[in-house]
Amino acid sequence: MIHEVVFYAASVWVAGLIIACAVLVLRARSAASRIVALDMLVLLVIALLVLWSDAEGVPYFLDAALLLALLAFMGTLAAARFHGGGRLF
Amino acid sequence: MPPLPLANALEVTVSIAADVLVFLGIVVITLGVVGAYRLPDVYTQLHATGKAVFLGVIAFLVASLAAGDAAIAARAALIAGFLILTTPVGAHVIARAAFVRGEPMRTPGALDESGAGLDESGAGLDAPDGKPVEEEPPDRG
Repeated sequence: MIHEVVFYAASVWVAGLIIACAVLVLRARSAASRIVALDMLVLLVIALLVLWSDAEGVPYFLDAALLLALLAFMGTLAAARFHGGGRLF
Repeated sequence: MPPLPLANALEVTVSIAADVLVFLGIVVITLGVVGAYRLPDVYTQLHATGKAVFLGVIAFLVASLAAGDAAIAARAALIAGFLILTTPVGAHVIARAAFVRGEPMRTPGALDESGAGLDESGAGLDAPDGKPVEEEPPDRG
């Protein structure tokens, strides 16, 4: 009982952090800072999915989290390389 | 038949440990977001986001092991392993891109120890034209 309450409260808190992070993406000073904020945003979404799968006891949310981690890594790599060198490869 | 007292105590302990881990993860993730807001430049922001948020997700994943579900445990181990491998790589690539683009180091007392900008003949990705140094580079006789 307490367990579920803790997990749901944590989910709500992480949702608030995601909103704060989205504001940070919009307000970032430079492009590199924006890439950092976007990377953090996806990590926060992963955290929310992990918490949600815990609260519900359903493992399928973790599949989405794993896929998101993969895509976030590739996206960060592509964005950072494009920002740094002007090309991807 | 009532459950054994020892098994019951173990179950309660694991449940409390999971709650404590979730609380710890929340604290660490919040610190990461606050750091991304407060720290002055990309290089220091990477310290906050690259470590704190990632460690918070790991804490959540460990807390999810308390359910004792094999499907959840396997996926949690996969995600944790993948994040451990990729987060440093991502942070390194972002920091390198920022440095190559001449992103200034706004932290008070920051010192560029890479030696970039000291040698004018250097060209290519590893020797950016714009010096990301605000202070005078040290004299290397």
